[in-house]
Amino acid sequence: MQEGRALADRQINRDLLHTIFTHPKWQWGLIAFFGIIVLGAMCAAGYMFNRGLGVSGLNRPVMWGFFITNFVFWIGISHAGVMLSAILRLSKAEWRRPATRAAEVLTVFSLMTAMLMPLIHAGRPWRVFYWVFPFDWARGVYPNVRSALIWDPSAVFTYLTSSTLFVYIALLPDLAVIRDRSTGIRRQIYSVLALGWRGNPRQWKLQIIAGVLLSALILPVFVSVHSIVSFDFSMAIAVKSWHSTIFPPYFVIGAVHSGVAAVVIVMAVMRWLYGWQEYIRPEHFDALGRLLVVVATGWFFFFVLEFFFGLYSLEADEIAVKDFLSAQAPWSWWFITFVGTTYFIPVGMWLFKGVRRNPGLMIIACISVNIGMWLERFLIIVPGLAQKQVMNFTYFTYAPSVVEVVIVIGTFALVCMLMLLFAKVFPLIPLYDIKEGEIARDEIQIGRRKVPAVLREE
Amino acid sequence: MAQRKPHKWGMIVDIDKCTGCQACVVACQAENNVQLNTEDRFHERRPIEWIHIQRYWEVPEEYRSRPEDAPFQDIKARFLPVLCQHCENAPCEPVCPVYATYHNDQGLNVQVYNRCVGTRYCANNCPYQVRFFNYWEPVWPDRMRNQLNPDVTVRSRGIMEKCSFCIQRLRRGERQVEAAEGGELNDRALAEGNFAPACVQACPTGSLIFGDYTDPDGQLSQYVAVDEDTNEKVLKDDRAYQLLKNIGTEPNVIYLKKIDPRRTGEGGHG
Amino acid sequence: MARHPHEAAERTGPPEVHLSDREVMQDLAEKYDAACPKFWLAVAVAGGLFALGVLAFVIRALDVGLSDSSRNEYGYYAAAFAFLIVTATTAPLAAIAFRWTKNHWRRPFSRAAELFSLVGILAVLAFIPMLIVLPGIDLNGDGVLELGKDRRTIWFSAPIGAPIWWDMAGLIGVVVCGLALLWVSARPDMAQIAQVSNGLRARVMGRLACGWQGTVRDWNVQKGQMAILGAFYFMLLVWVHTLISLDFALSLIPGWRDSIFAAHHVLTGIQASAGLLIVVLFLMKKVGGYDRYIGVDPFWSFAKVLLGVTLLWGYFWFSEFMTFWYGRDETEQTVIKLLMVESYRTAFLLNLFFSFFIPFVLLLWNGVRKSVLGPTVAGASVIIGAFFMMVRLYVPAFNIKDVGAESIAEFEAAHGGTAAQLLPVLPGPLDVLMVVGMMAGAAFIFLLGTRLIPIMSAWEMKEGLMYVLYRPFMKGKYLVLGKPE
Repeated sequence: MQEGRALADRQINRDLLHTIFTHPKWQWGLIAFFGIIVLGAMCAAGYMFNRGLGVSGLNRPVMWGFFITNFVFWIGISHAGVMLSAILRLSKAEWRRPATRAAEVLTVFSLMTAMLMPLIHAGRPWRVFYWVFPFDWARGVYPNVRSALIWDPSAVFTYLTSSTLFVYIALLPDLAVIRDRSTGIRRQIYSVLALGWRGNPRQWKLQIIAGVLLSALILPVFVSVHSIVSFDFSMAIAVKSWHSTIFPPYFVIGAVHSGVAAVVIVMAVMRWLYGWQEYIRPEHFDALGRLLVVVATGWFFFFVLEFFFGLYSLEADEIAVKDFLSAQAPWSWWFITFVGTTYFIPVGMWLFKGVRRNPGLMIIACISVNIGMWLERFLIIVPGLAQKQVMNFTYFTYAPSVVEVVIVIGTFALVCMLMLLFAKVFPLIPLYDIKEGEIARDEIQIGRRKVPAVLREE
Repeated sequence: MAQRKPHKWGMIVDIDKCTGCQACVVACQAENNVQLNTEDRFHERRPIEWIHIQRYWEVPEEYRSRPEDAPFQDIKARFLPVLCQHCENAPCEPVCPVYATYHNDQGLNVQVYNRCVGTRYCANNCPYQVRFFNYWEPVWPDRMRNQLNPDVTVRSRGIMEKCSFCIQRLRRGERQVEAAEGGELNDRALAEGNFAPACVQACPTGSLIFGDYTDPDGQLSQYVAVDEDTNEKVLKDDRAYQLLKNIGTEPNVIYLKKIDPRRTGEGGHG
Repeated sequence: MARHPHEAAERTGPPEVHLSDREVMQDLAEKYDAACPKFWLAVAVAGGLFALGVLAFVIRALDVGLSDSSRNEYGYYAAAFAFLIVTATTAPLAAIAFRWTKNHWRRPFSRAAELFSLVGILAVLAFIPMLIVLPGIDLNGDGVLELGKDRRTIWFSAPIGAPIWWDMAGLIGVVVCGLALLWVSARPDMAQIAQVSNGLRARVMGRLACGWQGTVRDWNVQKGQMAILGAFYFMLLVWVHTLISLDFALSLIPGWRDSIFAAHHVLTGIQASAGLLIVVLFLMKKVGGYDRYIGVDPFWSFAKVLLGVTLLWGYFWFSEFMTFWYGRDETEQTVIKLLMVESYRTAFLLNLFFSFFIPFVLLLWNGVRKSVLGPTVAGASVIIGAFFMMVRLYVPAFNIKDVGAESIAEFEAAHGGTAAQLLPVLPGPLDVLMVVGMMAGAAFIFLLGTRLIPIMSAWEMKEGLMYVLYRPFMKGKYLVLGKPE
């Protein structure tokens, strides 16, 4: 049996646009709540700019800590958008339809948030322009293209530009729908944004071509972004546990793992918040759950290889880091938590169909994944630095200061706030995509049984 | 200005002569306006020591597996002065996004404070751990203000710093020699000690030797030579070694091994 | 769903197949019953070459012996063995994966993919000499693994029987699992053949079908068995790839510390086996007489997968190369020199060219992907590339004498210039015969296997006819794909 009932276009418009045309108080309350946390984080960052990085918990062997961990984490989350939209669009997976917009928007916002991190972690954040933009801002010296830290902003900004375009192109038909239903100044704004969309065949054709082209072009960017983030670590020969050839694919698959999990969280939350049970159905969570099992298992294979090769080397420094990480308290507790929450707990849950089809349990499993993936990045970065190697005369560990913790919490609030604000002005589920899916829905009668089917243009 | 002679600066650290007195550390601190390493800085693990003395306790071979059982008279203190190695193939250089650190034509790994934005990537990628970050704005008590060296920048917070081989002294020496002789900089002037780095000048036992590798008559020539074809350093002294040679950084600081009297049979109190 | 009245549906199937269930079965059974003389000629040629290869191996073994000290004589043998693993042994994965993702276009080749598990028997036999020449772990025998004295190994302080028995057990596990999968998947067809043919074949097939009745329960059990065996096959295969690549290549080259290598090996396997299956599909269509069952769709879809895997291949290679190259660590630089840029440069360039550039440039174009010849050429290229990859990895690994050293960089210093064991080793006539013999043996077994079990899965084709149909919508006719739960 086909899940969910057939929906008429008019009802789809009404259901998905009510977030824009109605103004319940709780929405503003939530936005204000996250806004206050963001404000707090901004104050903390301001304090840090004023006093210097001394207010963080960083020290001499451990030069990178919470900020870089958070940077890698948010870059990881941003991989969900393309993973779901582009790959599933190219592979024509039907269940992608309600998930794409939320995933893409999450990509854009988490990328913005991620890029804040290396900027505020710099010693002199007011001078980062000649680092971040490949142009001779100062003294006629171009940035050093050999540095992985130059590849980073270039890749991230390319990804940000292309994913913003991706969101915008998919948004065009929906903007026109809103334009036609609004009045006054809002109508004018949406008119400008909709770029004169009339929905004629030529425009649809162009929109589809642009979508497919961007999907295909964005894929190399998507892979390159996290590879380059991993190069920040794997290119460094001085930190033995960072210098590992598996890092690029290991980071990318980890990013997909945490990113898809984050999309599941967003979907479950918006289903509950905006009452979209008809659109985001258990079957979608089921499909995402299965995808996550595969991704998680691939990730686990890479994790095992990475860990194992630290020991394989028989090199004392390398083994010392792995020993420090997995056998010495308190790190060993974090390590066990990380492995459990990233793989064993969620995958154990996802093996059951009942869990995969239950949004509440899916949220729990996916939050577990994201806790684990945050810890993963932390456990890659900090123990490697703390137990660097032979010439590291002053071994020391690292504990974050309050300022760092507040800023990290602030980034989570920032993404939540931006998502809510987006939902206030644009539909978080693509209207046209759902309508297209309704047209493509079909059934095949085989004997007494009806098998769900899709109509496909070739 | 006269055409300058090409130089390749380097240092020899003779471990055998080092007593671990820390005079070099103090001299460096004073010469280079390095911020005060107060107790707080040590507790935060953020001291800045462009040259620091690493101290190791060495037990006899037979006690390696259980050092706590070694008789105290057999436990030896070993000192290793570690400063920026001015690697020819420095891992810190390619990773800086803004070219704040680069290699100059005299074999020095130099840090441009003005360009540094403080990503701290270079410190992560330094296998010798000799790059230091200014976590706080440096402050000196009023009575020490006048002690600051006018030839050296006071580094603000948020940037990296490290040993420069007292480049200000090299530049001053060049100017002096050129003014006095109207000619090239040479190691004769160096031999007079008028522009050795502060640590070298302060070392009471002479365990630090500074000089020019390319000068065949220089002080370094008895320890090391430069191959004409490959332009690589050839260690001539059998005590000579480089720190972490296996990772291929090609340091310009060369260490001379400790002479163990028990092994060489030269007597001593063993 | 009142928009499309079901009465209006035309059950035409994909454009290639205009047959009813019964016609499919009869047609396939006929093809299976009668083999043309050309087929037997191919079998004879493959068998002859296989025999020559075995002979060459025996001569080599009698000549230099078969032990740790004569390991260098078996470099090409090892490469051929690894090639067998990355192509034939990995091939059933395609059937498992696309059955799992419910892709309809897998139907023409899934049986062919499973049939490759028969070649596993050859792989197990060929593995025995490899195990004999593998050096021990604890070289100086002091019970402790130490850098620079003992071989770096993935077995650390060696569980009992490691690595030899564990490697063998893994490979046998894969082969047994693959054969079981083949049997489970072929049971419905065997039962059908037992009904439509007669004589000895009918009796054998009836026996092998083990009482298949085609009840709902039979089908459900079969589905469950295939899922479990498939999952096991997948995991065991990845494990065996990991073991073989690490034990027989990576750990024999001192100083080569490459965490992506095992994953890259698995990926090369997936790529090469995809190429192999496209080529087999092409042969089935053009020579085997299955033209009407195999349209462009399997080629088109498989080409997309191959393009993706090819891009991943380039990406994995780049990760490995980039990390070593940028790091400028002398040990790693020497490894790159050995495997890529100096000693085995020719093999490496051929590998990169055939495994990456050719398939990438070809498959980039939809016109090429949506054809029969284009994906086939790319598939053949990928197979050739995988072979050169195995040559550049396994031949040097088998030619290193001092496997206990800390780094191969040291050899150079010790010998003044390039050490003899780092020079490229070219194949002799016996090596060529062994390599060709190994491939011919695989072809021989596969061809004979198609006589035992039909190369096209009749039940999957028939199932496909039910789920794929064309239906009018608006002004045109569109494809409707059933997606069974």
